[in-house]
Amino acid sequence: MAEATPPPADAPAPATGQIGVDSWVSESGERQQRYTGPWGQVARVWDRLPPAGKLALITPAILVPFIPFVSTGNLFNYGIFILIYALLALGLNVVVGFAGLLDLGYVAFFGFGAYTYAFLSGTHSEKGHVYTHHWPAELAIPVAVVVCGVLGVFLGSTSRRLLGDYLAIVTLFFGQAFVVFTNAADPYGITNGSNGLANIDPLRFSFFGYSVTIASVRGYYWFLFGCVVLVLILLHLLSESRTGRAWKASREDPLAAELMGMPVNRLKIMAFALGAMIAGLAGTTFAAAQTGAFPQNFSTQVLILIYAVVILGGAGSLTGMLVGAAVIIASNQVLDSTSPPQLQRVLFYLALIVGFCWLFRKSWKQLVTVIVLTVGLGFAVHAIAAEWWPRGVHGAVTSGGFLTGAIKQWVLLPVDSTRIADYAYLLAIVLAVALTQLKGWWRVAIAPFLFVITVFVWENLLIVQPAVTRYVLFGALLIALMAARPQGLFGTARVEIV
Amino acid sequence: MIATPSPRLGRLGSLGGEHRHRLGSFGGLGIALVAWALYAVYFGPTQGWTFFFQLTVNGIILGSIYALIALGYSMVYGILKLLNFAHGDVYMIGSFIGFGILTLLGGALSPAIPVVLLVLIMFVAAMLGSGVLGVAIERFAYRPLRNAPRIAPLISALGVAFFLENSALLLFGAQYRNYDGYDLISYNGIHIGGVTGIFVSYLGVIVISTAVVLMVALVCLVRFTRFGKAMRAVSFDREAAAMMGIDTDRVIAKTFFAGSALAGAAGVMFGLLFSQIYYLIGFLAGLKGFTAAVVGGIGSIPGAMLGGLLVGMVESWAQGYLNGNVADLVVFGILIAFMLVRPTGLLGSPALQKV
Amino acid sequence: MLKRVGALAVIATAFAVAVSTTAWGSSKAPAKSAAATKTVNCGKVRTIGIAAPLTGPASSIGVQQLHWAQYFVKRWNKAKANKNQQIKLIQGDTQLGVDTAFAVKVANSFSSNSKVLAVVGPAGSQEVVASTKTYKGGGLAWVSGSATRTTLTDGHTDGNRIGYFFRVVPNDSVQGPTVANYMINKLKWKRVYIIDDQETYSQGLADGVQKILQNKGVSVTRNSISQTASDFSSVIAKIPSNTQGVYIPWQLAPQAQAFGQQLKAAGKSSIKLFGSDGLFSPDWKIGGSYDSFFPVNTNDPVVKAFANAHGGDGQYFGAPSYVAAQVEANAITSACKAGHGKTSRAAVRKLIAKTKLKSSILGFGVSFSKGGDLKGGGFGVYQIQSNGSFKRIG
Repeated sequence: MAEATPPPADAPAPATGQIGVDSWVSESGERQQRYTGPWGQVARVWDRLPPAGKLALITPAILVPFIPFVSTGNLFNYGIFILIYALLALGLNVVVGFAGLLDLGYVAFFGFGAYTYAFLSGTHSEKGHVYTHHWPAELAIPVAVVVCGVLGVFLGSTSRRLLGDYLAIVTLFFGQAFVVFTNAADPYGITNGSNGLANIDPLRFSFFGYSVTIASVRGYYWFLFGCVVLVLILLHLLSESRTGRAWKASREDPLAAELMGMPVNRLKIMAFALGAMIAGLAGTTFAAAQTGAFPQNFSTQVLILIYAVVILGGAGSLTGMLVGAAVIIASNQVLDSTSPPQLQRVLFYLALIVGFCWLFRKSWKQLVTVIVLTVGLGFAVHAIAAEWWPRGVHGAVTSGGFLTGAIKQWVLLPVDSTRIADYAYLLAIVLAVALTQLKGWWRVAIAPFLFVITVFVWENLLIVQPAVTRYVLFGALLIALMAARPQGLFGTARVEIV
Repeated sequence: MIATPSPRLGRLGSLGGEHRHRLGSFGGLGIALVAWALYAVYFGPTQGWTFFFQLTVNGIILGSIYALIALGYSMVYGILKLLNFAHGDVYMIGSFIGFGILTLLGGALSPAIPVVLLVLIMFVAAMLGSGVLGVAIERFAYRPLRNAPRIAPLISALGVAFFLENSALLLFGAQYRNYDGYDLISYNGIHIGGVTGIFVSYLGVIVISTAVVLMVALVCLVRFTRFGKAMRAVSFDREAAAMMGIDTDRVIAKTFFAGSALAGAAGVMFGLLFSQIYYLIGFLAGLKGFTAAVVGGIGSIPGAMLGGLLVGMVESWAQGYLNGNVADLVVFGILIAFMLVRPTGLLGSPALQKV
Repeated sequence: MLKRVGALAVIATAFAVAVSTTAWGSSKAPAKSAAATKTVNCGKVRTIGIAAPLTGPASSIGVQQLHWAQYFVKRWNKAKANKNQQIKLIQGDTQLGVDTAFAVKVANSFSSNSKVLAVVGPAGSQEVVASTKTYKGGGLAWVSGSATRTTLTDGHTDGNRIGYFFRVVPNDSVQGPTVANYMINKLKWKRVYIIDDQETYSQGLADGVQKILQNKGVSVTRNSISQTASDFSSVIAKIPSNTQGVYIPWQLAPQAQAFGQQLKAAGKSSIKLFGSDGLFSPDWKIGGSYDSFFPVNTNDPVVKAFANAHGGDGQYFGAPSYVAAQVEANAITSACKAGHGKTSRAAVRKLIAKTKLKSSILGFGVSFSKGGDLKGGGFGVYQIQSNGSFKRIG
């Protein structure tokens, strides 16, 4: 899908899908391309940094902006969720990125950790059984983590007999079975069915007489921050260690790794267990922050979000997990119904403009033409509609804010827009797909139409239901990422050895 | 059959491994089924042969829908070695297309044209629509990833599934739509064994017969036509088939069309039979159809049909003999256990690793 | 070597940072929120939040609640007397059935928005439980039109929210006996099959009805289906043909419609269905079925005007949200008057607790008990006529 830029004549041609060529070699052409121009200098400095340095730069840049100047509501919505998903992504990274196993039931471990902690930290009564445990966090959290580890071993042991796709299927069932287990089956009332386990204690640590209770949002934020840093360090050390190298080897070619003496089965189980334990840790803190654990918190949508984070960041790269979590969860929250529509608008239009500029980055002339044509087309369509179809322009702008005037002038806003917005949505998809297939000045011809229709669909359909729109966008993001840049932002391009 | 015979066995295959493999699995399955039937009828919570057979018939009806979905999964897997998670959502779109046609032509209570014609148009439209959607998905989401690592098309498939589900939510809304299939066709049916015997509604008969017709058509397509031969060739070895002059891209696109068309038909059948459709049915049915394909042996067409029937029957029995709360869990448990015991399914061939 | 030292240095610093920030973050006592007593300028426009499932599987009920609340606000703002005391609604999508975390997120965003003086919703009982701490921390009162789990107001079973949580509908402990007694006394059923949909609301009601029926010697069998199920054929096959009625306290009317059709198709059309307030919708039109719902007076001009404005669709499930918004608007207006243009969330809460409405569109007056439950209020029994409309019969 991405335009292939011809490598310089003296560089070896990039290899894709050839037998026996590894990614470092295949990237050499790309590397020589990369260090030219101003961006090239930045890239060269970045590539020279040791991983610890990269981590040291990225972590504060992403997490520290959520310092006390942010309101509690935003801290909860953005900060805590970004950190939780960063933790989850780091755990999934171990399974998918390091060991190369596709685990589609990962969210079940998240749930187990949350439910175990919730069970051990509150009073619950259901179906005639009353369970009262109020364990302090320094006992409850390790127990939850260990339980998840055991489950991870259990699930990992199925990977002995199952390869690749079959493993994906079994883990998917496991994830589904978990939801059914907590929601419907609920043996002896331990999970309290669809009511979930509520009213659990906040995190309460007591060491040597000194006791600390984390009950405020800020407290949870910093606690999670600490957890993320610790897990980052752990994973960084692991990935540089013997086990990490063994994982990477078994990911690339399990048979060769086995022959080299690496216990591939045991490595797979270890990867599952470690991933599960990290998810369990995230689960406990999530349950404590939410003061409860409910079955709907662990649905497939959460799984897709975690995968989106991992894929966007680049499976295998720790920095990528943090960046991916920040980007995905921040956009997830921005496109939520509780966020101000002005913010959503600003971000959408920015993203659209940046996207179009990037699409035409190679040619000045094309970019300028597109801009001029787009603006003109918008006004033209609006004028024509105002003349011949007055109902087309008298609709209301959904919570416009400071952009209302501009929008009213440029965008068609039909009075009852549902039907036509649906068709426009389909048309927009068709045009977007066509755009990716065409090249050169054909693109310039289609781009203005696509822009105008996208804005129309946004104003009339998407911004009315931002919570659904974001999932549509995440799905499209996954598709586009796989087609254009499967290694994500920070991953390393891999070559399939056939 | 889009099953890959193991090259290692060649012409000696009839002497060893493979057929004994198959016999074992069928034998085991047969024994398990008979044992279960006896246990359920004589010791189960609700006893009696009538109840058991009623559940079995219900299961077969449900299973034929799953079988159609499983066929799509199997065909695509056989040809591309790709688990197409988006298949369930193609099925969902098919059911919505059928609903759209139904509403356009008057609705279930006052159809504007004769019922037979209406149902026929619904099926054809849904099959065409789903087929085109399937081809489009293949073209834009999977074709660029032909040579990418195996995980890439899987993630892309997840993305497509998510995209389709939420687009449907955006365009159609979250409320359930009702086909009112029984109002359209008939509430009556066949009584086997008198009034207190087994009851099969006419709608159920229609569903089973349509499914059988479609499956027979598919088998004929694969066995007796040139295109079928090309499909089998591409599934066996894509590069060699290309070298033989087969246009692999077109063959793959047509396979997707066929598989998705079947899913679309399944969607309409589901709507007629169970009435309510909404944007999430694709996920659930996809999961079950997927299971059916795997149980039968992914990549194998007869396997998909058998797997579909089995999954339908197991689900029906579980719902009938167990409490609703644990039924789903038990079905998943059985499937996980089955996967562990026989990962390649009933009719699939043992996976060979090329060294 | 250097790399290792560097790595260790990073580890040590990071660990120190993590520990110290955790300690720092937590040593601040959880603020007994000043937001509760902080005075807010009322101004001319006062804000109420509405937390409802606007998207997701339960969106059909959430959208109904939103429409009714918006209808109330529109009528209130139109009244001349309210020219300087307008009400504004801000929405929060709790996505009931998807992820309770959304309910908590919505609670957080309302809590931290100092203009919000009270909240209508949330819709689901488990959402109420999940967001209790957040709303209490913000000092907000929240009035729900559909969270009917009985234990929400007893102050200890799943949290203490007395003085903060109110509901304008009778809870499950009222609906259950109404239904059971009607079945026993009027319908004289002796064999009843109960199916719940594995959700909180449904299970609570089903449990209550089952207990009463069994105490009176009615033979009851209990089963359940999931809200995502469409194939009821096995469950229907299990229902003995001499059953007189099936009680289905479900939330999704189209599901009940499909169930009724499949029941008829299986040849068991002599078995009658009995639903609950979640099924009071034109989507369920199996003639002869019974349903329990609030005694909404469908001839009330307010109710009629709403139905007309929405294409004949009364969307009655959302009607309690109208009353909830009404209660809150009254309380806020009185609080602002008493505080001469300034009030606080605590003051609004106290006034909500003292609400006394003689009558409402729901057919009964509104006043709250100490726990926040509606005092009085009952359910009516309706029957679906052959043209699909509901007629009150008891």
